[in-house]
Amino acid sequence: MKHLKISFLIFILSVGIQNVSSHDGSPHVTTGKSKADSQEACVEPTELMRKEHYMFLLHQRDETVIDGVRTKKHSFANCIDCHVSYDEQGKAIPINAEGQFCQECHVKTATNITCFSCHAAEPRFPQHSGMTSKMNSNDINELVKHINNDK
Amino acid sequence: MINRRNFLVKSASALAITFVVPSLLSGKAHAKKPLAQKVTDKQSWGIHVDAGKCVEGCTACVDACNEENGLTGFGRPETDSQWIRKVTVKNKTTDKITTMPMMCQHCENPPCCDVCPTGASFKRVDGIVMVNQHTCIGCRYCMMACPFKARSFVHETLTQQNTNAPRGKGCVESCNLCVNRIDHGSETTACEDACNKAGHSAITFGDLKNPSSKVRLAIDSNSPRRLRNDLNLQQKVFYSNI
Amino acid sequence: MSEYTLQKLKTCRYAYWGIFLFLGFLILLGIASSAYMEHEGHYVTGMNNQIVWGLPHIFAVTLIVIASGVLNIASMSSAFNKKLYKPLAPLSALFAIAFLIAGLIILVLDLGRPDRLIVAMTTYNFKSIFAWNIFLYSGFFVILSIYIWTMLDFNVSKYSSYVGKLAFGWRIILTTGTGSIFGFLVAREAYSTAVLAPLFIVMSLLYGTAVFYLLLRIISKLQNINIPDEIVTNIRRLMIIFLLANIYFLILYHITNLYISKQVAVTTFILLEGGNYTTMFWLGQVGVGLLIPLLFELTNKENRNFPLTLTSIMTLIGGFFAVAVIIIGGQAFPLNIFPDHTIISSSFFDNQIHSYSPSIFEFGLGIGGTSLALIIILVLITNLKFIPTKK
Repeated sequence: MKHLKISFLIFILSVGIQNVSSHDGSPHVTTGKSKADSQEACVEPTELMRKEHYMFLLHQRDETVIDGVRTKKHSFANCIDCHVSYDEQGKAIPINAEGQFCQECHVKTATNITCFSCHAAEPRFPQHSGMTSKMNSNDINELVKHINNDK
Repeated sequence: MINRRNFLVKSASALAITFVVPSLLSGKAHAKKPLAQKVTDKQSWGIHVDAGKCVEGCTACVDACNEENGLTGFGRPETDSQWIRKVTVKNKTTDKITTMPMMCQHCENPPCCDVCPTGASFKRVDGIVMVNQHTCIGCRYCMMACPFKARSFVHETLTQQNTNAPRGKGCVESCNLCVNRIDHGSETTACEDACNKAGHSAITFGDLKNPSSKVRLAIDSNSPRRLRNDLNLQQKVFYSNI
Repeated sequence: MSEYTLQKLKTCRYAYWGIFLFLGFLILLGIASSAYMEHEGHYVTGMNNQIVWGLPHIFAVTLIVIASGVLNIASMSSAFNKKLYKPLAPLSALFAIAFLIAGLIILVLDLGRPDRLIVAMTTYNFKSIFAWNIFLYSGFFVILSIYIWTMLDFNVSKYSSYVGKLAFGWRIILTTGTGSIFGFLVAREAYSTAVLAPLFIVMSLLYGTAVFYLLLRIISKLQNINIPDEIVTNIRRLMIIFLLANIYFLILYHITNLYISKQVAVTTFILLEGGNYTTMFWLGQVGVGLLIPLLFELTNKENRNFPLTLTSIMTLIGGFFAVAVIIIGGQAFPLNIFPDHTIISSSFFDNQIHSYSPSIFEFGLGIGGTSLALIIILVLITNLKFIPTKK
C-alpha cells in the first residue's frame, strides 16, 4: 500500500496545485456610469436579484432559445443594456471587465461567469433600449405584405 | 387570392396603419406573435431558392449573414464558420451550370438532432433547426451526421459578438433562419433582404403553412425540389432551377 | 495452472518508479496538450470543419474497442467456462476498466466544452447513440468493478460467473454501440451500414487479445514468471480465428459498399484513389494489421512467444490504421450533396478531398490517455493481488 499512497500523493501534487488567489478586500468601485445607476430598482427587488438573478436568467434562457419567448424583463441583453457602464467619452465598457458590474461581484464570490464566452458584454446599439434587430425601409414593405397576407 | 384592386385597397390601409400603429405598439415590433408568447407549430418557416436567379460571383447573402451574425473570420478558411456559402454545380447529364446558396436545410427529420447526445441540437416547433449553445458540449457528432455540411464548429475564442447572435468557442453553430429577427416580428432573413437589395430576389423566406405567403407562392409556381431527397429528411429549404 | 494464488507485482523499485514516472510524464504532457487545445480553441489542432473528428478520436475509439476486447480472456472463463483462463480473469477485467477510462477521458478532453461534462451526464437525448453509449460505458464500468470484486473477494465469489456472463453480454452491446456511432450516420457513404457493428466487434476481439497478450508478456517478465504453454497455444489459435474474422467482415463491408452504386465512389476512394488513405488501408490496416500477422501465426506452429509478440504489435499498429481509415478516410471524402451534379466551386471545400495533418497536441492527448490506462494497471497490480502465480 505504500506504493499506492506515494503514487496518489504524486498525482495530487502534480494536478492539485492550483493558482489560488483571493479577493484583495478593497472596496469595489465601478468605473463609469450606467443607466441602472439612475434607476430606483431592478426588474425584481434588489435583494432577490442579488441572490437569484441567475435563476431568472436560467429560466429565461431556455424559454428564449427553445420557445422563442423574447420578453424584455428578464432578458440577458436587457441586463447588459441597463447595467453596462459608459466611460467619459460615452463609450461602453465591457460589463465583464475588471471592476465592472458582473465581474466585481463574481470575483468576490469566486464564481466563474461563462456567459460572456458567447454573449456580447456590451450593448450593440448603445442608445438602443431593447430591441436588437435592425429595421429598415424594407420592413415597412414587409408589413404591407404581411397585412395583405393576413386573410 | 389577392387581386389587383384588393391589393391596392389593402396596401393603402396598410400604409395608413404603418404610420399610426407604431406609436401604439411598443418599439417597432409588428409581430404576429407577442414577444411573451411561445412559438407554435401554426407556422413553419422555410426558404425557397431560385437558382435560376442566383448570380455567380455574387455573395450578397453570405456577406449579409456574416454581418447579421457577427461571423468575422480569422483568415483560416478551414476552421472559420460559414453559415451560408455559395456553391456552383454542373449537371452530370446536361452540363448545365447553376450557382446557389447553401445553408442549414432545416430538415423536418434532422439527423443532427437525432445524434446530439444532450439534445442541444433541436428543432423548434416552428421548424427552425438550431443549436442550444447552453447545452452544446462541442462533440461535433452533428457535423458528422449532417448530409449538407451545414454546421461549423467555433474553433477559437471570440470577442465582440453581436448581441442578437451569441456564439462562442467550443460550440457548434449553423444558420438559424435569423431566429432573433423572426421572433421580433421580422418577416425576412438577412440573406433574403440582401438578395433582394442586390436585385436578384433568388431567396424567398416565409411561412410554409400560410398558403398566401411569398415563400408558398414561390414554391407553388416553381415546383422546386429538395436536396438529397433520397434521405427523406423533408427539408424546409427548397431549390428551383438547379 | 490448477493450483495458483494471486499475487501483487513484485518487481524492483527502480523498475516500478521508472515506469511510473515515465508514464506520469506522458500523462502530464497529455494534460498540457489538452489544456492548450481547450484554451486556444481547436484551430491549433489539425481538425477543422471538414475533418471534425481526428487523432483523439482514433485513440479513443481504439482504446474503447480494446477495452471491450481485453475482457475476452475473462469471458472465456466465465461465459464459456474455460477453466484455463480463470486465473487470468481478474487481470483481464482490470485491463478492460483501465482502457475504458483512458478512451473516455480522451473523448471528454477533446470536447469543445469539456467543462460541460456535467451537462452530458445529466441531459440526455435518448435518440442519440452517443447518449446510449454514455450509459453503456458507465454501466460497463460498474459491472466490471463488481466483477473484479466478486473474483477477488472469496465471500462473494459464487456470484462471479453470473457477473462475468453479464459483463460478456454487455461488452457485445457496448462494441455494437461503438460501431453504431458510425454505422448510423446516413449522411456519409463510408459509414451508413450496419456491418460496422460486427466489424467493430471482431476488431475488439483481435486487438483486445493482442493487448492482453502483450501486457501479460510484460508482466511475466517483470514478475519473473512463465506464461504457461497452454495459454500461448490458445492465444495463438484465437488470434488466427480473430484475424480471419476481421478479414471476412472487412471484405463484406467493402463488397457491400461496392454493390450499392451510390457508395461505389467512396469505396474506390479508400481502396484505390485515396492517396494516403489508400496507403494506410492496404499497407497499415490490411498488410501490417491482418495479412502479415496471419502469415506469421499460421507458420508459428511451435507456438513460440516471439512471433506471437511480434504479430500482436503489428496487429495493434494495423488496428490503429484501421480505425484511422474508418474515421478520417470516411470524412475525407466530400459529402455527396448533389448526386446529379459535379460541384465546380464552393467556398466551403465541398468539391475536394479533405486533408488532415494532426498536430502535436492531438498526439499528446492520445499518448497521455494511453499512458493513463497503463499507469492505472501498473498502480493497481502493484498494490492489489491480480497476478496468478503457481503455488
